[in-house]
Amino acid sequence: MSILKLPAIFAIAASSVSLLAMQAAVAQDNPIDKVSTVTDEMLLNPPDGDWLMWRRTYNGWGYSPLDQINKENVGDLKLAWAWAMTPGGRTQETPLVHDGIIYIQNSTHLIQALDGATGDLIWEYQYALPDEVSPNGERNKAIYGDTLILATRDAHIIALDTKTGKLVWDQQVADFQKGWGYTSGPIVANGVIIQGMTSCGNGQPGGCFITGHDANTGEELWRVHTIARGDTPEGNSWNGIPLESRHGGSAWLSGSYDPDQNLIFTGVGQPYPWPAVMNGLLPKSSDPDVTNEALYTNSTLAIEPKSGELKWYHQYLATDTLDLDYVYERMLIDLPVNGEERKMVVTTGKIGIIEAIDRVNGDWLWSKETVPQNVVLSIDPVTGEKTINPETIPEIGKTTFNCPADPGGRAWQATAYSPRTKALYLPTVEFCSNTSVNPLDPGTIYTGGGRATFDRVPVADSDGNIGQVRAVSMEDQSDMWMYRQRAPITSSTLPTAGGVVFVGTLDRKFMAFDDETGDVLWTSGKLSNSLESFPVTYTANGKQYVAIVANWASGLGRLQSLTPEVKLPPNNPAALYVFALPD
Amino acid sequence: MPFSFALRRLAGPLLALALTALLAPLLPAPASAQEPEFFDIPYAYGQWTFGRRLDESQLRYCVDRRDPAWEADAAIADAIAEALLLEPQRYVVESGIIIEDITKVYGILLEHCDVHMGFKLIPSGYAAWASLTRPYYETQYVFVSADPDIHSLADLAPPGPIGATSGTSAHLRLISYLMALPAEKRWPTFPMGTNDIALESLLNGTVDVALVWAPSLWAKQRADPAFADLHVIDPTPLPPTTLGVGALMLSNETFLRTAIDEAIAALIQDGTIAEILAKYGFPAEARP
Repeated sequence: MSILKLPAIFAIAASSVSLLAMQAAVAQDNPIDKVSTVTDEMLLNPPDGDWLMWRRTYNGWGYSPLDQINKENVGDLKLAWAWAMTPGGRTQETPLVHDGIIYIQNSTHLIQALDGATGDLIWEYQYALPDEVSPNGERNKAIYGDTLILATRDAHIIALDTKTGKLVWDQQVADFQKGWGYTSGPIVANGVIIQGMTSCGNGQPGGCFITGHDANTGEELWRVHTIARGDTPEGNSWNGIPLESRHGGSAWLSGSYDPDQNLIFTGVGQPYPWPAVMNGLLPKSSDPDVTNEALYTNSTLAIEPKSGELKWYHQYLATDTLDLDYVYERMLIDLPVNGEERKMVVTTGKIGIIEAIDRVNGDWLWSKETVPQNVVLSIDPVTGEKTINPETIPEIGKTTFNCPADPGGRAWQATAYSPRTKALYLPTVEFCSNTSVNPLDPGTIYTGGGRATFDRVPVADSDGNIGQVRAVSMEDQSDMWMYRQRAPITSSTLPTAGGVVFVGTLDRKFMAFDDETGDVLWTSGKLSNSLESFPVTYTANGKQYVAIVANWASGLGRLQSLTPEVKLPPNNPAALYVFALPD
Repeated sequence: MPFSFALRRLAGPLLALALTALLAPLLPAPASAQEPEFFDIPYAYGQWTFGRRLDESQLRYCVDRRDPAWEADAAIADAIAEALLLEPQRYVVESGIIIEDITKVYGILLEHCDVHMGFKLIPSGYAAWASLTRPYYETQYVFVSADPDIHSLADLAPPGPIGATSGTSAHLRLISYLMALPAEKRWPTFPMGTNDIALESLLNGTVDVALVWAPSLWAKQRADPAFADLHVIDPTPLPPTTLGVGALMLSNETFLRTAIDEAIAALIQDGTIAEILAKYGFPAEARP
């Protein structure tokens, strides 16, 4: 101190005061301070500028009421900011947005809060995955109260403080070493966290389950098994094989919630391994007391969120042997059917058949085919029961031909619904597969999962356009428009009140369509990677932004073998891109 | 000198191996590394960080402690390295995960080893990124029973269930056979997720016969006396399902694979592998 000159001391003092003042100013302006508590009422009717859950609203529409960006001006859309995410790993991210803060989960399970207007980092939290677990992302997360609620690849559910990023609680739900893990996050309904389990394969028989958790502690409240058990018609639908031989029924995407009925509607995937000759569903048992539909695979489950009571179910595809999940989004749409107002649950399976059931009683209502398919020969107009083409059922020692191939005419990329047009916007792909059942037991620990070999090929008489965006009227199930392009469409669709539908592609384009005509209104420059995620739109400081994560994430990206000219970077970079209109 | 034959045969390939190592930086990178695709070409986290190996005097091999054959396989890998005049460098994969997808091995090969021991030779059983050495031994899937009165599959009355490790070559062979029978003559067949679960289903009475990988039965009986009374039965009327076991490599390692194939042939020929199998009492045969 003694050697410091007086002016220097003044300078340091002034500087310190200035720094403190700046910190105080920054603290005052920090947008995280304005983040409010997310209430049940807020989840029932989210603010227009927020994106509080996977599909934004409980009805699963994936629709935004924002209209600053609209048909007239979307052509002026520019990159506002970008944020690099941890490279590598698959991430099919749905950013959440609340009060102008955008929350993301990197594949490494680094969770970050960013200023939605500037892209500046506010906080981050690193969840420590075990070394044995490959870092991959989660499709969605939830926000409730003052916590951000996330699922992890090692089968935990965690809650972070939305303002600080500090861990509030951590609940282990299952043992990842037995194969269990999460690939999607939860939905919070009526104060209960609802979470579906994934990867219920050979390591642990008995199949997957859906759990309900206390939102304040993560404590498990109830568990619904997705593979029926017991001496019931449902439990006896597994061809007579015991519980320790039943695998699959992954509940790998979040459901929707109908507050009027206080019911969650959630999907269940297929039996494992995929070929029925491997999973025990074929050859069919001669026991008259058993069937082989394999309930509750490929079904919608209607579950009461407080008690976990399974109220009813509807199975779309029995005895699935081709990996044709019906696990995807459930959209709650109320429209007349044959002149009668119906409360529908609408979903589309991998076969690309859109189906509606009455969500009050589970009655099947209607179906609409989209992509070329040869698996379903006919659908009963009353029950929805499908007659399967026997020539597509895989057999040992024979190659069969099925359309679509195993990734599906649609995959995890969510369909969206716009109340503006009463249309459903569906990202699809067209392709087929030469399918062979192969013994895939290469190692004692390392297996091929007992799957078939799928040699994917274009559909007959293909015009070369593998990817499509389809708009289908939910009023009369008529086709409104279809956009076709060579590269697969690889993101979910995002319709808005501005009359535009955003979607991303394998060949690194983010696009906007006219929601009524399908005209391309805007195309971004090529981004850093394919766009395999769930785009969202939100407001920060009163301005509308559109966000999408660029990344390669399998799914429809598997069709890269059909479009080999689409080259992607080898280190699989991931980045969040945010677009806005010029000021 | 047990390895003199191998050394003579491999002198030429070793010279070529050394030249290849020197020229490797001048060769173009394999195109496959630029085309990530799920399942067809696996993606290993951090794959762009794995550099070119520096020490070409070593044979880096992996064994997995979860594989019942891992100790015998490691001894065979040591012998292969010695035959190639290379220093064996063992990497033991440690994990508590019960079942993993084979694409996980892609990353292990990139990061830790040139060969991963213990993979079955199954026609069309591997994607293009992987290739196998020639088999260093053959072993079988076996039908096993806890019932002393069952000596052959033919002794099992059709209502008696079989628990088969799911999706294996032997399981598919069994299902093919059953599909050709009238329904009333079929044994109910329950797919079991792992060999261990199939064996446990014998003890708890869920099934009368289990169809498992012979090394798994061997390891289970050595580790747990509860399984000591299980016995292998005659597979008749089915033929035995015998599979060769070799080492998995990246498919672009063609020269090293040729050298290893020649080493394995020499080690089978001179009895070295048979001696190793006998030392461990391992249920396999080394066939020329």
